[in-house]
Amino acid sequence: MTQKSPPGWLEWILTRCLSERDRETISGDLLEEYREEQLPRLGFVRANLWYLRQAFSFVSVSSFGGPVMKLALTWMSVFTAAAGVWLAFMEQMLKHSGYGGRTVIGICIAMEGIATVLFLLLHGRAIYRTLVLVGAIAVGLLGASAVMRILGAPHFEGFVLIIGSALVVQGMLTIVAVLRPHRLETL
Amino acid sequence: MAELLGAFEQAVLLAVWRLADEAYGRAILRGVQSALQREVAAGAVYATLDRLEQKKLIDSHVEEGTPVRAGRVRRYYRLTVPGVKALNESKAALENMWRGAKWPLEVEA
Repeated sequence: MTQKSPPGWLEWILTRCLSERDRETISGDLLEEYREEQLPRLGFVRANLWYLRQAFSFVSVSSFGGPVMKLALTWMSVFTAAAGVWLAFMEQMLKHSGYGGRTVIGICIAMEGIATVLFLLLHGRAIYRTLVLVGAIAVGLLGASAVMRILGAPHFEGFVLIIGSALVVQGMLTIVAVLRPHRLETL
Repeated sequence: MAELLGAFEQAVLLAVWRLADEAYGRAILRGVQSALQREVAAGAVYATLDRLEQKKLIDSHVEEGTPVRAGRVRRYYRLTVPGVKALNESKAALENMWRGAKWPLEVEA
């Protein structure tokens, strides 16, 4: 008899969130639970939703200690730092009206990116985590504001959309990564 | 005295202790859910197991899988001597904290 399994893409999501060491054992545990308990009890659709929830619990909890998400966040932060430096440099070169303020914003963006990379590499203390968290919120809001503005602007500038979107994603990832230790302690 | 364990860590360690030779991931997840009487995300349990193993309060080994899990190996966990000690100390600390208090506590008007 062929036993039912979760859809392949769901298993793919799960395995991408697991370290090499845990990939087989944890996916096996969840498959066993899915087939023996969740599928008979909940039916196919709700059992798949259960499986999806479990897969995402690894995205939000364990994967930030894992190599894939940490690497992704590190490179996003490096991109943010480079984008900030580039923005500040361009403002200084072009010297359009109000360039001083925008140069400072560019430098702040670069510092936030560098701070997040250092946080990931050095596992910062509580005060440093708070600073990174504040920076991540600011950068996320700045990115969202830039994206909203460029979508409504008469002249579309692709680089603003790319940098703005990257800031939003990096801000969100950093917030989850910074909050994770507290979340684990209070479970 | 060793670092005191959080409530969730205690629930995981007690599930490992209760399950003895049958303490593998899925059984521990069900044991924790049963003890806490609520649904618990698998990610939280495995992250805690990982942390407890890093603290050397448990150790693990893998064994062959069964057909229902498509032959994927199972990781079995076992309490170590420091793990048992940490659980005992956490229980003693909790009892110490509650000593002299009449349970359930009542709110004074």
